[in-house]
Amino acid sequence: MPAGWWTRKRHYFLYVVREFTALPLALWLLWLLVEIKRAGDGPARYSPHGSTAFVVFSVIVLLFALYHSVTFLSLTGVIIRVKLFDRPLPSGLISLAMFVLWAVASVVIGFVLIWFGR
Amino acid sequence: MPEKRITIKATRYDPEKDEKPHLQSYEIPFYDESMVVLDALNYIKSDVDGSLSYRWSCRMGICGSCGMMVNGTPKLTCNAFLRDYWPQAIVVEPLNNFPIIRDLVIDMEDFMHKLKSIKPWIIRKQEIPLGAGEHRQTNEQIDDFRQFSQCINCMLCYAACPVYGLNDEFLGPAAIALARRYNLDSRDQGLKQRLPVIGDSEGVWECSFVGECSVVCPKGVDPAKAIQQTKLDTTMRFVLPYGNRE
Amino acid sequence: MDFESYDVLVVGGGLAGIRAAIAAVEANPRVKVGMVSKVYPMRSHTVSAEGGAAAALRPEDSYENHAFDTIKGSDYLADQDVVEAFVREAPVEVIQMEHWGCPWSRDPDGKISARPFGGMTTWRTCFAADKTGFHMLHAVFQTSLKYPQITRHDEAFVTKLLVEDSRCVGVVALDMRSGRFDAITAKSVILATGGLGRIYAFTTNGNICTGDGMALAYRAGVGLKDMEMVQFHPTGLPFTGILITEAVRGEGGYLLNNQGERFLKRYVPNKMELGPRDIISRAMMTEFEEGRGFEGPHGKYLHLDVRHLGEEMIDRKLPFMRELGREFVGIDIVTDPIPVRPVQHYMMGGVDADISGATPMAGLYAAGECANVGLNGANRLGSNSLSECLVFGAAAGRAAAEYASSAKPVTANPVDALLWDEARRVEVEFLEKKGGDERIGAIREEMQREMDTGAGVFRTKEAMEKLIEQLGGLRERFGRIRIDDTSRTFNTEVTAAMELDFMLELAQTMAVSALAREESRGAHARRDFPERDDKKYLKHTLAFRREGARPRLEYRDVRITNFQPQARTY
Repeated sequence: MPAGWWTRKRHYFLYVVREFTALPLALWLLWLLVEIKRAGDGPARYSPHGSTAFVVFSVIVLLFALYHSVTFLSLTGVIIRVKLFDRPLPSGLISLAMFVLWAVASVVIGFVLIWFGR
Repeated sequence: MPEKRITIKATRYDPEKDEKPHLQSYEIPFYDESMVVLDALNYIKSDVDGSLSYRWSCRMGICGSCGMMVNGTPKLTCNAFLRDYWPQAIVVEPLNNFPIIRDLVIDMEDFMHKLKSIKPWIIRKQEIPLGAGEHRQTNEQIDDFRQFSQCINCMLCYAACPVYGLNDEFLGPAAIALARRYNLDSRDQGLKQRLPVIGDSEGVWECSFVGECSVVCPKGVDPAKAIQQTKLDTTMRFVLPYGNRE
Repeated sequence: MDFESYDVLVVGGGLAGIRAAIAAVEANPRVKVGMVSKVYPMRSHTVSAEGGAAAALRPEDSYENHAFDTIKGSDYLADQDVVEAFVREAPVEVIQMEHWGCPWSRDPDGKISARPFGGMTTWRTCFAADKTGFHMLHAVFQTSLKYPQITRHDEAFVTKLLVEDSRCVGVVALDMRSGRFDAITAKSVILATGGLGRIYAFTTNGNICTGDGMALAYRAGVGLKDMEMVQFHPTGLPFTGILITEAVRGEGGYLLNNQGERFLKRYVPNKMELGPRDIISRAMMTEFEEGRGFEGPHGKYLHLDVRHLGEEMIDRKLPFMRELGREFVGIDIVTDPIPVRPVQHYMMGGVDADISGATPMAGLYAAGECANVGLNGANRLGSNSLSECLVFGAAAGRAAAEYASSAKPVTANPVDALLWDEARRVEVEFLEKKGGDERIGAIREEMQREMDTGAGVFRTKEAMEKLIEQLGGLRERFGRIRIDDTSRTFNTEVTAAMELDFMLELAQTMAVSALAREESRGAHARRDFPERDDKKYLKHTLAFRREGARPRLEYRDVRITNFQPQARTY
């Protein structure tokens, strides 16, 4: 295959973008590990990293993460088969349920973090 | 009104003469709005150059012979209308990701072996005798696998799959869709025999979900769906205590 | 020289061929079976069959009913013992296909469903939506992959039967990919090469349907039976000839003329749209002649209307028809009527074979559309052909395996010489042909046009005599063909030339057989002899090849058991 194969089609391009957005995500998560390690030294000695560049980077990574989540959860409707009274549930409903679960999980985790963080 | 004409650029390759494939240009009359790319090739072969080689038969999108790259996209040429391209030239090439035998004819032996490797037949622990009649199966049970049983083996999905292009050990979209067709059939009990092939690293796990196979499929088989469903199923079998059920 | 040797060799990889191969192995697991096909088996034209396969499976049906419908449909030219055996085996074979994974559409209780079909008095056409042939072919082909005894030679074009001491001992085949000629020998050979629709310009048949097996047998001296009997299907799409299944009418579709009238009430008032194909095709041609057809860019047509059936029903029972309408005509059959006209569809005639598929030549069998076992007579009923492929494919497979178990092995010596001669012939006549000026495409198109005119739905003495003369001229021009392609690799121009050679031969037998049958029976409708003549023509025509002359014709009485010929009205 020619090296530029992924530029030939929108689908290929989106796919390669999706694959490569995983790299900054991984970097950001590594950074998070460093931050956690630093936080282990106690609140008195910890100051979170807050440069503008890092905030911008974080926002971009957040967008990437959302892109992954949305594509992944949309797919669930296609791949998960649930039968109710011998009829398969419509895929839209399954995806919707997944998005709702995602939202609920986010709220719960956020709540727990803030609750225990205080 | 002067007759409309259209330019077809077709891949020519004769391994006895040519070092590598090249395009040859033909300008032919576009005399009927219903003409498809296959009609254009037939016109060339019949009236211009009898040496152009390609496969075709049913010209109704069911035999799966006439898949080619049409302007870079895998298509059944019996169903690619000239009017959708005219007045631009149309480039017709053999399907991507396959060795070329001659002109527009690809070598698909690899698929024939892969098809056999997934055991595409009904496997029963105990055959029921013919005298006992048919297995009972409802239309709803057929709906479970209907989509995956529509595959015509046209190879468009393999031509669209960059994973197959980079690694031809990959079992590929059509073969996995057909494995799923049998695994979902209420009459079949062969899942365990197929798992070593489809659950292998060159099976479903080689797929990184580009999804183009399902875009180009002319029969709505959605092989990408079959593959992702199989990934989920094999994972569940691995993770859940009751997952190893028949 | 080395050559592959089998016990049973099947030529053709469609439904009949694969069924025969499996039957041979199941009859005797030690049998080595070869299968040679000019295309990959799943490309075979069985794939285009749509409507279904007939079998008297339902409790309200009976063998007698199915047999009577078939015999009446055949206009009493069917051999009745063959029909009676067929109707008993068809249900077994349909069940066998079910066991092999064919996704038959089901009744609510989970049993195989059935739909009404033309000329059938009850619901007995089993179906897999409207892609029955596709599903059957893929099911049987994929099932065949599990038999290690079956070896395939895909994309090999058979040019000649090997005959030694008037026994068929194999074939010479051109391997498309390598350009090599191979002798593939076998103790018995089964021809299952399908139809010859490409002899006509307007046909439902795919590009591969060129009557190869019939021509191979004919050249080896075997007679061709009832070659005048050609079926025209009432509903093909104009221009392409794509088949619109009879199931559209089976499920309740109407045929309408340009007055919006269900004109079949004047022709088959008791059956209407469920009349047999020969009569409906003639009715449509008559509507055209009397000015009640629509005029389109591709000639006259009528309307096939399913709008009243509703989207839900169409999507469940006729999804492929909706797809064909959308993809190939740009209409939605839910909201638009379908333009249709009669189109060449099926060849009743074929290689003379008996109830077990055996031809008069020792070691040679035939099954499916390329054979004439006496089932279809002068008009085949829709949905009998898929069942025929199963029943007689299996019968031929068993008989060939049985023959092979007691036959002498094939000796290498004459085979070598025969292979050499045949390879030389093809090289001289085609591959190394120099100095010709006739394009095979031009000759083929002219043959097709002439056949449409001279051997179409309605026939006359004058038109057929002219046809025979024209075919003679085309044969002469064929001697001066020009071949552009000199490559040995996948040379489809040489195979197309050999196919045309076969078709010219067969076209002549069809025209000569048709001219000699001075009556109207089933699909053979003579304007100059509009009545059936049981005194003279309750007989099969047999055509034998003569070098450089018109074929010699013989006649053989039809075998009648329980159903005396009577007037055929619907």
